[in-house]
Amino acid sequence: MRSVNAIIQELDRIVSHPRVMLEKYLGKGKKVVGCFPIYIPEELVHAGGMIPMGIWGGQVSPAIAGKYSPTFTCSIMRSCMEFGLTGKYQGLSCVLLSVLCDTFRGTSQSWRIGVKDIPIIPFIQPQNRESKAAKEYLIAEYRSVRNRLEEITGCKITDHALSKSIEVYNRHNQTMREFAEVANEHLDVVSAKNRHAVMKSSHFMEKAEHTGIVQELIAGLKALPVCEWKGKKVILTGITAEPNELLDIFTANKIAVVGDDLAQESRQFRTDIPDGDNPMERLTDQWFLRKGCSLVFESHRCRGDMLINQLKENNADGIVVCLMKFCDIEEYEYPIIAQQIEDAGYPTLCIEIDQSTQDNEQSRTKIQSFTEMINDRRP
Amino acid sequence: MFTVGIDIGSTTCKSVIINDGSIIVGRAIVPFGTGTIGPKRVYQSVLDSCGLSRDDIERTLVTGYGRFTFDDADNQKSEMSCHAKGVNFIIPSARTIIDIGGQDAKALRINPNGMLEDFVMNDKCAAGTGKFLDVMAGILNVKVADLGIISEHSQVEVSISNTCTVFAESEVISKLSMNVAIEDIIAGIHRSVAKKVAALVYRNGIVKDVAMSGGVALNKGVVGAMRKELKTDILVHEDCQLAGALGAALFAWEEAVKANRCSQTQKNNE
Repeated sequence: MRSVNAIIQELDRIVSHPRVMLEKYLGKGKKVVGCFPIYIPEELVHAGGMIPMGIWGGQVSPAIAGKYSPTFTCSIMRSCMEFGLTGKYQGLSCVLLSVLCDTFRGTSQSWRIGVKDIPIIPFIQPQNRESKAAKEYLIAEYRSVRNRLEEITGCKITDHALSKSIEVYNRHNQTMREFAEVANEHLDVVSAKNRHAVMKSSHFMEKAEHTGIVQELIAGLKALPVCEWKGKKVILTGITAEPNELLDIFTANKIAVVGDDLAQESRQFRTDIPDGDNPMERLTDQWFLRKGCSLVFESHRCRGDMLINQLKENNADGIVVCLMKFCDIEEYEYPIIAQQIEDAGYPTLCIEIDQSTQDNEQSRTKIQSFTEMINDRRP
Repeated sequence: MFTVGIDIGSTTCKSVIINDGSIIVGRAIVPFGTGTIGPKRVYQSVLDSCGLSRDDIERTLVTGYGRFTFDDADNQKSEMSCHAKGVNFIIPSARTIIDIGGQDAKALRINPNGMLEDFVMNDKCAAGTGKFLDVMAGILNVKVADLGIISEHSQVEVSISNTCTVFAESEVISKLSMNVAIEDIIAGIHRSVAKKVAALVYRNGIVKDVAMSGGVALNKGVVGAMRKELKTDILVHEDCQLAGALGAALFAWEEAVKANRCSQTQKNNE
């Protein structure tokens, strides 16, 4: 049995070098399909015997992406365009993109023009989720995605295989939720950076394979003595919390991450695909169960309440809002959730996430000040 | 017992010595920031200002942008905590603090004990910071310290509409080429800074009294523009630029008292 540290190091290597995984799967004769953020029905890809691989950009100062993407737009989309235009995604059979905001819509058009050798399959998950027609519409959208995937890759996607893939994904979700719980007993080992490595690596691995590794990690953690964490505890919310240098600042200030509401991390695992007879309907129903996300419309926004519950359940000291620069949807939501959390008696910290810069000094000052503030409140 | 606080900013170093956590006995400001001779020089200057030597100092605490690079300090703390502490000492009624530094702007909310309750900091952008004023003073060929006095003569404040420092620079040049009076342009520059910073303050919430700290608080034009934008009075103390260093000195004193108490208890136990 490998040590906990050896497993975490492996996952961290995968997160740092996802191209290695892409090459590995291509070497095995697998087709790999790129999945843009945030909610892609990866099970369709998986059911075709292909590998869904997340594309979340990376730390890069875009140059050529400026030809298509305006400067003041989400840095994830800009870095994805940069990587697409510079051949970093070579090997992907195609990419899937759900048009959840205006930047996604623009990117779907730019990609088609700029990255001609990797076909894009854009689709729409309806924001009006209360109408019956919305479900019929989404089933039709997912059928269309399924057909296009089959056309482009030549891989057949059967209902039987889809049902099996749904089980693989639900099992993975449960495993990741269990990891999040077990990790909180071992905050001396599962630092902010390590937790992120475990979460993010799921985007670059076949899900059953990732489930196996995380289960091995959980078993390893359970064998360790429970850690009584002396530092402070926070919950992260936002789209992503990266890079590692930023997460290391939390550790340097003796802050542990005991939960997250990040689109790249726990939002991926918290909504299972419900039971049912028809796998396409089941896949569709998952969209209508999603909640507490800025990119999913709700007539009653529940993200603030969900965060407050997370704070209480995990005995956390505050919320860190990881605000994706130029993500207008997140920026609109921030003052509302910050007020709700403050009204509940908890402090919030807002840090800016920007893939286009390596400079974390401003975040360093903010995180240190926040630590000093919560130390004064609850010494 | 003497303790020292040093605030190593991006453009200026400030230092304060206090006696027994209650009386300011030394002050120094040098116009050099982190990565220069500024930190060393301000330390020596503050000692010289009150005739003390390093041997007289019980503890030194450093804050500001360069807080991680000063070897002679016993500890470091963030500028947010230090400004809160320092302003609470010189303006005890302050509950909201606006600190405009060389390269950042912050709005702090504090409790009656000078502890931080909440804060917001500007984005990675020079607009609304001292750097913005430095750049504008450069184009106008005036000293940054004179901006406030010159703007008092403004008859018609002009609008500087660009948030971006580089574009605002072009806008100012275009106003100059149209023979707009310098004092009116400067008044517009101050309003531009105030608008940007007011957005931060509104986001953090305003609880009276409102005070300003940092070097930019010495600029009466910016303070006046902030009053207009926030529609409230703003308190400014003569030591506003030293607030961060003062807070650091106060933290150093608290730490020294705690350390002395611990060592006394240890001795008693022995």
